[in-house]
Amino acid sequence: MEVHDHAIVRAVLAGDKEAYGALVARHSQNVFRVAFRITGDEADADEVVQEAFLRGYQRLSSFESRSEFGTWIYRIAVNCALNMISKRKVEASYQIGEETDPAQHQVQVADSSPGPERTLLSREIESLQAAAMKSLTATERTAFILRHMEDRSSSEIAVALDIAPNAAKQAVFRAVQKLRRSLAPLRVNL
Amino acid sequence: MNHLNQQTLLDYYYGESDSPAAIDEHLHECAECAREFNALRSDLAAIPVLSAPVRGEDYGQQVWQSIRTSLPVYEAPQKKHPFGWLMSSPWKGFVAAATACLLIVAAFFVGRHWEHRTPSLAANHSTSEQGRERVLLVVLGDHLDRSERLLVELRHADPSTEAPLQAEARDLLSSNRLYRESVKQSGDPTLATALDHLERVLIEVSNEPGGLSKARLDELQKEMNTDGLLFEVRVLRSRVQGDVEGKGTGATTTKGVYL
Repeated sequence: MEVHDHAIVRAVLAGDKEAYGALVARHSQNVFRVAFRITGDEADADEVVQEAFLRGYQRLSSFESRSEFGTWIYRIAVNCALNMISKRKVEASYQIGEETDPAQHQVQVADSSPGPERTLLSREIESLQAAAMKSLTATERTAFILRHMEDRSSSEIAVALDIAPNAAKQAVFRAVQKLRRSLAPLRVNL
Repeated sequence: MNHLNQQTLLDYYYGESDSPAAIDEHLHECAECAREFNALRSDLAAIPVLSAPVRGEDYGQQVWQSIRTSLPVYEAPQKKHPFGWLMSSPWKGFVAAATACLLIVAAFFVGRHWEHRTPSLAANHSTSEQGRERVLLVVLGDHLDRSERLLVELRHADPSTEAPLQAEARDLLSSNRLYRESVKQSGDPTLATALDHLERVLIEVSNEPGGLSKARLDELQKEMNTDGLLFEVRVLRSRVQGDVEGKGTGATTTKGVYL
């Protein structure tokens, strides 16, 4: 039977440091996924995961048992990822490439289209999408990623970004408006 | 018919609409809104969801191994001492000051008793009395000196120094109460008023919830006239210092403090 997260937190706070390993093992995949989606870089995402769990351990005494550890560490990870993109200025070098290449901050985008024409069109779309994402601010992009890719509600986004729920909603709305404007040329082709 | 705005359509798309049934109905009736919604849906559907690279099952273990050495061990909560509450802030300072006062008072009475039993020593009474007063003046001088330093720090404080300031204020507060009472009894209104003013500032600094922000510090400095108090404390400290020196050389003093 799996030990509940809250029981592990209590054990860690009582001096059982090794118990924290179970929490890391349990939540690291989720944390990595959101870190990767926000930073767009595998190595940066790995770094965010380590930093998030490190910070989580340091602040464990402030963790309130009425919330879930998974949600709490997720929020810390989102903040770490936001700090990371501010530091690395990923926005300036976000590109679409053939292969995932951390050194060049390239991200491989799934391509299921078979023919060369379709491939060309797909690349054009991807490049426009990448440019559109680049036009967003860090908060707008993170809010949009959390909403569109992570399926988080406005209130969850607000908590993760430490902003008011209405501000979170507005950030997603602005992101969608900007993306739609940038992607408008595609509507003619499709 | 009122058309649905973009925000409403977006909320509906992401399942966050307050009244999805009404919007659904509207979209069936209004071709323009239905067209707008289809365009929105199509645009959003075209934005791919980034899939993260796959991490192995031992990924969590790898992360744990990379951070575990830099993590300290949390100390298990200690069992409470029966008189632990006395040793916890803000009582700690009060208990220490009260103990010191008790010792001084006890020493005073023991000294007096000793003098009654040994008349031969009575001749030295005035000298020992002067010595006791000198000790008390030194203690008060030290208190005023610490208070002066606190007020100077308060004047130049930034929010990052709030914790040490508050701890020092709490510590000074308990002893200040005792000095103020003693000074009142000894009939030194100037010193008693200054200590009273000082006590109000110390209470404000000690009990500020959530620490002192820059704005609160400015407000406190303005409200409590800490600059004026600082000047008063400086003058009194110099006076007490003069009294200490006077006692030391056997000269006549102006005022004394009796505990």
